[in-house]
Amino acid sequence: MKLEILHQPDSAIAKINLDPQEELVAEAGAMVAMSSNLNVSTTLRKGKGGGIMGGLKRMVAGESLFLSVFRTTSEAGELYLAPKFMGDLLSYQMNGKTLLVQSTGYLASTPGVDLELGFQGFKGFFSGESIFWLKISGNGIVLLNAFGGIYEIDVDGEYVVDTGHIVAFEDSLSFRISKANASWWGAIFGGEGLVCRFSGKGKLYCQTHNPSSFGREIGGQLPPR
Amino acid sequence: MKYDVRYKPTFATVFVTLQPGEKIVAEAGAMASMDGNITVETQFSGGLIPALLKTYLGGESMFVNTFTNKSNKPQEVVLTQSTIGDITRIELNDRELCLQPGAYIAHAGNITLNVHWAGFASFFAGEGLFKLKVGGNGIVFIGAYGGLSKRQVKNDFIVDSGHLVAYDPSLKMNIKLAGGLLGSVTSGEGLVNRITGNGEIYMQSRSVSGLVSFLRPKV
Repeated sequence: MKLEILHQPDSAIAKINLDPQEELVAEAGAMVAMSSNLNVSTTLRKGKGGGIMGGLKRMVAGESLFLSVFRTTSEAGELYLAPKFMGDLLSYQMNGKTLLVQSTGYLASTPGVDLELGFQGFKGFFSGESIFWLKISGNGIVLLNAFGGIYEIDVDGEYVVDTGHIVAFEDSLSFRISKANASWWGAIFGGEGLVCRFSGKGKLYCQTHNPSSFGREIGGQLPPR
Repeated sequence: MKYDVRYKPTFATVFVTLQPGEKIVAEAGAMASMDGNITVETQFSGGLIPALLKTYLGGESMFVNTFTNKSNKPQEVVLTQSTIGDITRIELNDRELCLQPGAYIAHAGNITLNVHWAGFASFFAGEGLFKLKVGGNGIVFIGAYGGLSKRQVKNDFIVDSGHLVAYDPSLKMNIKLAGGLLGSVTSGEGLVNRITGNGEIYMQSRSVSGLVSFLRPKV
């Protein structure tokens, strides 16, 4: 498999060349174009994070219930995948590591990658963002999408991220929800609200823009549906 | 202090490196992420009454955050805006600049933000009754929806309402029909803003009101 990400960062699209007898799993609706010899099927995925329950949990997490599987037969094929809205893509090599991904961040993965819905409980609730996170593990490549450009932070010590700007992080990092300010007064009125304070060692991926902020800015001026 | 604006023009974001003891002030909500050793303090933007004026008349947030590096190593803070678009850095050397609501992102140095009466002509030109004025010595970061273009106005220049981001305070705003009465309606340009005087302006290549009117019939 050969993966290339084009038109970064604002209109990123993944161009994937699959060798014969290869497979790629993607979020339903992500396919933009493909060779006519590719086989497409829908899956609820078996095993870890698979089956009906896995699918339902993914739906709750803001991902689609079904995943599409693209498979080549005896010939090689080409596939283009893109998210719905403008933004950047990131390819992450799993190598047995575990990655926690903001629920809407998943785009595609190779077959050796396991998707599982992680529940962050109250921690997730208080972070002011979606409660759900996808726990991604296994071996292979996972493709993530984000609103804005994606920048990587090599955390060694402490790092603070506004909750709306997190795309994914390695589970070697631990995080706690805290105030950006020392005082409660500042935390409430400072507009940063609650932030995630990461500690430990590992990689963290952030998006330059906050989809909720942009949504509020534009949505507030639109008529109700 | 080191600044780097990355992901221009669509997702422009400011990566600021603060040396020990340095600080930068940003509007509430502008921080995307930062190193753990940066201290954040929230203040009313220039005191309670000026902050209220800025919010209700100048369209800016009531609070600003001061990011200070109190550690002994360089620390990074990443600042952005809620809309997608370009960000530019403007150096002020004892001069003033008027900003449109929402344009201000951050500043460093000895800079003050004030709300001024802009006048009815400005209001009818679609640019508001009040204007936010920044002045002093230092650096200001302004953001736009779309790309930012700077232009020197000599005598007069016409800008469609909603596309002006910042301008020299000596410039005057006047409402004007884009063409004749019929032409103005049929050309879709309607009322435009005629700027007279000499000074620089910053324009944005798209406008939020344009996006809203594009989306409105589709929702």
